Amino acid sequence: MKRFSTAFLIGIGLLFSCKEKKIADTLFELMPSEKTGVAFENTLISSDSLNILEYLYFYNGGGVAAGDINNDGLVDLYFAGNQVSNRLYLNKGNFQFEDISESAGVSGEGGWSSGVTMADVNGDGLLDIYVSQVGNYKGLVGKNRLYINQGENKFEDQASVYGVDFFGFGTQAAFLDYDRDGDLDMYLLNHSVKSPEVFARANQRNEPNQLGDKLFKNLLSEGKTGFEDVTESSGIYSSILGFGLGVGVEDVNGDGWPDIYVSNDFTENDYLYLNLQDGTFKESLESLVSSTSRYSMGNDLADLNGDGLPEIFTTDMLPRDPEIWMKSVGEDKAEVYEIKKQFGYADQYVRNHLQLNQGENGFSEIALFSEVYASDWSWSPLIFDMDNDGLADIHITNGIEKRPNDLDFIQYSQQADPKLTRKELLENQINLLPTVKLPNLSFQNQGNLQFSDQAINWGLDQPSYSNGSTYADLDNDGDLDLIINNLNQPAFIYQNHSEKSGNSFLRINLKAKGNNTFGMGAKVGVYFAGKSLFQQYSGTRGFLSGTASTLVFGLGKALALDSISVNWPDGTEEVFLKKSINQTFTLNQGEGKTASKTAIRSKEATFYPEISWTHQETNTLDETKREYLIPKSFASMGPAVAVGDVNGDGLDDIYLGGAKDQSGTLFLQNIDGTFLEKKSEIFAQFARAEDVIAAFADLNGDGHLDLYVGSGGNEHLSGALFKFDRIFFGNGKGDFLFSPMSLPRLGENTSTLAIHDVDGDGDLDIFVGSSVVSGDYGASPKSVLLINQGNGTFQDKTKEWFGTDIDFGMVNSAVWADLNGNRISSLIFTGDWQGIRIFEIINGKKLQEQAMSGLEYSAGWIQSLAVADVNGDGKLDILTGNLGLNSKLKASQEKPVWLYHGDFDENGQADPIIFHYMGDQLVPFASRDELIKQIPAIKRKHSSYQIYAEKARPTDLFEDATLAKITKQAAYEFRSGAYLQQTDGSYVYEPFPDQSQLSPIFSVSWDESKKSVFLGGNFSGFRVDLGTNLASAFGSFHWKENAWTSINFGNTIPSKSEIRNLSTIRVNGNNYRVAASNSGPLYWIKLD
Amino acid sequence: MRNLKFMLFSGILLIAVSCAEPVDYSEAITDGQYINEAQDRITEVIIHDIFSPPVAARIYTYASLAAYEVAASVDPNYVSLMGQLNGSEKTSFKPSEKVYPPLASLAAYYYVGTAMIFSEEMMNEHRDATFATLKKKGIPSEVFEASVAFGKEVGDAIKAYSSKDNYHQSRSFPKFTVTGEEGTWQPTPPAYMEAIEPHWNKIRTFVLDSASQFKPLPPPPFSTDPNSKFFKVAKEVYDMDIAATKEQKETALFWDCNPYKMNVKGHVMFAEKKITPGGHWMSIAAIVSKADGRDWKGVAEVFALTGISLNEAFISCWDEKYRSKLIRPETYINQHIDEQWVPLLQTPPFPEHTSGHSVASAAAAYTLAQLFGDEFHIVDSSEVAYGLPIREFDSFSQAAEEAALSRFYGGIHYRPAIEYGITGGRDIAAYIWTKVDTKPKNVATN
Repeated sequence: MKRFSTAFLIGIGLLFSCKEKKIADTLFELMPSEKTGVAFENTLISSDSLNILEYLYFYNGGGVAAGDINNDGLVDLYFAGNQVSNRLYLNKGNFQFEDISESAGVSGEGGWSSGVTMADVNGDGLLDIYVSQVGNYKGLVGKNRLYINQGENKFEDQASVYGVDFFGFGTQAAFLDYDRDGDLDMYLLNHSVKSPEVFARANQRNEPNQLGDKLFKNLLSEGKTGFEDVTESSGIYSSILGFGLGVGVEDVNGDGWPDIYVSNDFTENDYLYLNLQDGTFKESLESLVSSTSRYSMGNDLADLNGDGLPEIFTTDMLPRDPEIWMKSVGEDKAEVYEIKKQFGYADQYVRNHLQLNQGENGFSEIALFSEVYASDWSWSPLIFDMDNDGLADIHITNGIEKRPNDLDFIQYSQQADPKLTRKELLENQINLLPTVKLPNLSFQNQGNLQFSDQAINWGLDQPSYSNGSTYADLDNDGDLDLIINNLNQPAFIYQNHSEKSGNSFLRINLKAKGNNTFGMGAKVGVYFAGKSLFQQYSGTRGFLSGTASTLVFGLGKALALDSISVNWPDGTEEVFLKKSINQTFTLNQGEGKTASKTAIRSKEATFYPEISWTHQETNTLDETKREYLIPKSFASMGPAVAVGDVNGDGLDDIYLGGAKDQSGTLFLQNIDGTFLEKKSEIFAQFARAEDVIAAFADLNGDGHLDLYVGSGGNEHLSGALFKFDRIFFGNGKGDFLFSPMSLPRLGENTSTLAIHDVDGDGDLDIFVGSSVVSGDYGASPKSVLLINQGNGTFQDKTKEWFGTDIDFGMVNSAVWADLNGNRISSLIFTGDWQGIRIFEIINGKKLQEQAMSGLEYSAGWIQSLAVADVNGDGKLDILTGNLGLNSKLKASQEKPVWLYHGDFDENGQADPIIFHYMGDQLVPFASRDELIKQIPAIKRKHSSYQIYAEKARPTDLFEDATLAKITKQAAYEFRSGAYLQQTDGSYVYEPFPDQSQLSPIFSVSWDESKKSVFLGGNFSGFRVDLGTNLASAFGSFHWKENAWTSINFGNTIPSKSEIRNLSTIRVNGNNYRVAASNSGPLYWIKLD
Repeated sequence: MRNLKFMLFSGILLIAVSCAEPVDYSEAITDGQYINEAQDRITEVIIHDIFSPPVAARIYTYASLAAYEVAASVDPNYVSLMGQLNGSEKTSFKPSEKVYPPLASLAAYYYVGTAMIFSEEMMNEHRDATFATLKKKGIPSEVFEASVAFGKEVGDAIKAYSSKDNYHQSRSFPKFTVTGEEGTWQPTPPAYMEAIEPHWNKIRTFVLDSASQFKPLPPPPFSTDPNSKFFKVAKEVYDMDIAATKEQKETALFWDCNPYKMNVKGHVMFAEKKITPGGHWMSIAAIVSKADGRDWKGVAEVFALTGISLNEAFISCWDEKYRSKLIRPETYINQHIDEQWVPLLQTPPFPEHTSGHSVASAAAAYTLAQLFGDEFHIVDSSEVAYGLPIREFDSFSQAAEEAALSRFYGGIHYRPAIEYGITGGRDIAAYIWTKVDTKPKNVATN
């Protein structure tokens, strides 16, 4: 008995301590509805007449809006319901709410409600409520409602009086003063139900439809009641292509005027409307953004990095759990991707997108870098400082009760049954849709634009099907509580306990002049400790939801403020010299100090040279047609660039090698710094060749520069005529003569040239690297050492120098350098799937590989190498341009990415299979469908996607005997950076800063005069599931005090250009770098 | 103890007696019942594994050929096809005394059929159940084993033969490239699948001297001019769809034979799978063989010859499809006549000219007519399991012509593709009958 009671007590104790612990330890606490009085649950019942097949957005759920409807200083909540009534909860303080829906008259009149937004539409200082509903459709009867606040907690639907009783498929409204006349206008987001699976020409978006999106101008400031439909004259698309699921309003380009972002589901692009300040908008997505979410759901626009410019976040449906990922629909197959392009749609990928605002350079998409790209079937993203540490975090709701993207369901669920009618068969299908309930995501900002999910630690990990969400400081304690509208589950109200963290905060209420009483659209900046934070009061955020007018800033450990700035909706800017923290300030327009408008610095008219030449990549080659699993194209590696004084006038001239069917061109520099094309028949004759690399050097020893041009393109098989490299002898006057006998006939995909007098006989020899075997990615192409016979003819002496067993692997870049200072040069090269390899000349006869400490894990996808003494310690260091971190492929020493290459199915073609770690499982990067396409017999190993998804290692997929025959190569390091040579000859890796890891670097070069490294990046040739990567075209960094610091040089490089080469050139007495772009012109970087 | 010994002894005696007593199992398999069931299972697996129509025809053919070669090895009234078919070598299989030929034939069918598909488990399960049933009919285990072994021996020869038809290599041939050239094929809604089997003309033919031996007439020259022949044949498809009668619609749906129709509603999509055109005709072959009372050897013959006819039809048709690479009515009509138009049937993922169903149906019908006489009352229940009704025909040619026309009713083919398809299919089968024999020459002339 005694024993029993002890055990019992311990048990009780455990129970208590667990419960205590949970409450005490987590940042957020789920408040029980019995306490809050918020009983709202968006209960949804699928029926024969209304279900996901009858209405495609059956499971999209409802929104929630926060706002103080009675101006008592407590934020109230309004929930939108689909089959249940909408509910308005009055905040009574202390997390207690009262349902006043019926007395307030805001229940939605039985309609299917989607989105809800609160705004003071009529300028009376009271928040009104706009609700979007589905009109007459399959038994649903509704229309959009504008509940005008009558005071005393009473509302009246005056949508028809105001001319906004839209009847169709309403998603949500956003309010903004787009014309700065002092009242709030309305963007009405709607969706379509027209079969989205049949692609329509993208230019159909120009054809207005009554069901499309709308822009309404408020006539309040004109002294009238109501709105005018100005859609047609405003530049807003209003077609049936729009499946609008999210709308966000912020000043995207920092001009003080509100811009609009619309996320569209299915094939239609998202829209980014820039306000032209004249009552119209210009849709500018494709000029500012390189890719978007494909099935864009909700969005949020807010500043994540304190530069005052909002980032854009959109949600999609890529699973986060590896097993779910492997059995769910992924990216478009290459052919579907192409079709969408043909129909005129922009680049879209099935994952969340985080568009980093780079000001006039547009946006860099960094979701893969930031690790926020996958959050399963996601709806509402909210960017806000969840833990008040001064860094904005991202909360994402997710979940769909019936998962349509399950591949087993799509491919295998349907069973023919003659007894079923068509209708019964379809209903049966709904029942077969799989169900998975997951927790929402809570991405904590780590401070470097990288995020990690804290759902469990923060107590936000309750499984749910969550749709709309909002944040608000419900208890006025200086942190943002979280409110989530769930399907078939009570709404979540989470109390934020940041008050216990010791982090300070600031709460700001705005009082604007005119009819926009709460200052909707105002941007508030908070300055402290050399930092700045910005928020705009937008009122429409996430998915179908809206936030309150009180702006809450987390300040971390700040002790005092410097000042607060407000950009009011009418364009005026004021500064409030508030110092104290942990306060609520009400800022009245006109009471601050008028900010001295920072004069827009007129751009200095910098002189840049001009060469009228554009690389024209007309290549239609699609390597995936013959190699279904190839990870990237090698058809866009040019242009080739060589700089040198070819006519002895002391001025740099330039050779530019064209793409296929584009002749190489030689430009001679004139004394005034202009360039004149030197016509040459001989270059035109080789126009068919895709030139990717070129170099000037005196190859025949006559004292004049000769020209070596290397060809690639990966189109023709090895040995094809136009893949032969070529040597042209120069006569010192700018004329070049083709020397047909100079080179052995190689015909590989040349990638790099490294020129050096290898045998010490006084002439120049050449190492010619090759990147890929045409038709066989992963195999080792033939790279060669060409020994000069003294007269500019070369012989392949690879075996003599490297031995017969040499395997160069895939070579992207090679250089000669005397790394160890012994006056004997070494060949340094690397490429895909191999580390930096160093071969030293031994006795002037042999090249022998040297294993270098610190380079063991340097293997990645290095495209470019350079050697320089970066830190001035007298030791040469090795600089690398690599894949970067903004990729789905993530590599580390512990979890490398593997290439398994070999003829898995013994059909005469080798198959390159990339394995990567998802969690602790080493699984193919390719989808099951893609693997089957390449290796049909693999289907025998897994009869379903579920079984495939359970495969955890290569041996689960292939026989040991098969795996024994194939080659395995690892990539451990995808970051670009510098291997710094130590005094003992070993290397220590120092990656470049994060902002240079956002794109693959194709050109890395060191400038000794500026002690800076130049990085040229961007690449659009990845396979569809890796996606284009155009997040960073150019960067330059200076090594200072043992760290890289960004250093700016004037340049003309557009942010989406793909830079392949950065050559030094002196023009008119000034030093430049000429940046050669693929499929584009030359750009310039001014050094002096 | 003694008692126990005695009991044991008598027990052994009892077993020995029961073993010794010979059961007549010669009637265990007489007709085509078991091979029909095995074929039905292969059809299910083909559907599950999503094999395209040309590949499906190849699977049926090799499996049937294996079954037939066992029959030919035991009955001098049948002539081995090995040695007659392209790339095959004459074989002379000698079954041991113990072999029960109909079981060996069935075993060969399962053995080769299973090697041709992915979901082997589905096949093995079915085979094991069938074998268990047969064992209960008293086939002694040594007979059973010998029969299965002989089936495997013949099957291995057929597998070796099949392995050289370039199918395996063709899995890695380049995918079809959509050029976007005017008038050429583009992927079609809603799945926008890539064009399947663009290199099927590189698969070895069984009888034809080449894939292009029966090259059909080309389609009318592409044009968007409303007065052109091409516009008119496209408009005809469009008008047909609008004017289609209930009977025509039913005909189209009956012969849809789409192994992979993608249903899409918003974010929800699921594949709906039916038997392939070849599968449908193999089923008709089984139905009429049964109705005609063919024995197991006769059924194997019917299957093998029908399979070969279908296979050659698909190779010839696919050769033309990727020669003319013609745009589908759905794409053309959406571009030039009605942007919203959707055909009654879902457009299959390969170029238009000629109609595969037309070529295959005409070829199969010709061969079945040779075997049974054209006038034959067919009660076609092939599609019942897939929710479609029974349809009856009075002749093979009637069924084939209806199948061909159904593609026009369904809005997925222009009329020339159907007309040239029927001609091509017939010519191909007629040629096959001049080149191969299943009956000894002297018997055939009697």
